[in-house]
Amino acid sequence: MNETDSDFAGETDHAAGERSSQSGFFEIFIAERDRLRRIVAGMGLGPADVEDVLQDVSIRVMRRSPKCQSPEDAVRWLVRVTINLCLMEHRRRKRFGRNASAILKRRSETLGRPERAQENIIRAEELEIVRESLQELDDSLLAALVLRYFCDLNSTEIGRVLRLSASTVRSRLREGRMILARRLTERGVEP
Amino acid sequence: MEKSCEQIEKLLVDYADGELSSGESSKVAEHLAKCERCRKTFQALERSMELAGVIWEDGLREIEDLGVTKVAAVRRFKWGRYAAIAASILIAAGIFRAWHSTTSHEEPTLTFAEVEQRIEQSGRAARLLAAAELLAECPDAQSIVEKQYRYIVETYPQTPAAAKAKSRIQ
Repeated sequence: MNETDSDFAGETDHAAGERSSQSGFFEIFIAERDRLRRIVAGMGLGPADVEDVLQDVSIRVMRRSPKCQSPEDAVRWLVRVTINLCLMEHRRRKRFGRNASAILKRRSETLGRPERAQENIIRAEELEIVRESLQELDDSLLAALVLRYFCDLNSTEIGRVLRLSASTVRSRLREGRMILARRLTERGVEP
Repeated sequence: MEKSCEQIEKLLVDYADGELSSGESSKVAEHLAKCERCRKTFQALERSMELAGVIWEDGLREIEDLGVTKVAAVRRFKWGRYAAIAASILIAAGIFRAWHSTTSHEEPTLTFAEVEQRIEQSGRAARLLAAAELLAECPDAQSIVEKQYRYIVETYPQTPAAAKAKSRIQ
């Protein structure tokens, strides 16, 4: 049984008497929805997948209120389940589907001005390399990077969520970041 | 003792994240000041993370732009997604018929993209409504169900599901 399966294995034996805690847990889910959405985006899934993943998280909340000692535990459970569901989606779908030019187009629309042409060419090339690298990055490294650099969790917090030691998290962050950096330099892009 | 490039490279990510002691941090900074190769690696580390941030933010913006922001559902039924797809098709057909009947004597006022967006919103609203109806079976979930109905009414006001949700609240 893998890590993802074992996370969910206990869900089916949820006793009816625990139902009263469901509402409280569901409230936490509602409050944490933005953070969970951020994680799904960081993991490279598209808008349609976000709905699926968050719906699955909410279903798991309703089927089984995990035995959490505190609201912080409940949040960690939600983040872990969300990450695991993203990883399951990765096996079915292509992630980081938007290419660099589409990203830049939206960015210039958001900024309300086009970026200078030369700047754009360089950025597009760099962005494409990093996008491809994220796409190919091992799931375990991507999850650590997203939680650290997109969700601002520290190594200890990430360790609690992913059930890893802080030093393992640091080692994954080092490995993930060095892969991205090397891909940039190997392709001859001057940072 | 001065550290080699290989030793420094192992410390670069921790240096960038401010995880090193001040002594180690100074040694890395000194090395970077005189070693162009390590400096480029460090710049690539910073740059790649900056670009990853752009990609992540873009993904988040795409999600927010499409309004797929708030989701709630209750139980999983194997047929749930198929039912949602079937409902979406029926709703789409209904919207198209209504749209067609109102515009048959005039030039169409909606673009294809707008019609497509309405169809998509109707599908989402129908799916959320179905989830809320399932949740309504739980006796202690009434406040959540009501919130869910309100959310459908506020987020997808033009949809048939919103009309139904409104009637449930009243």
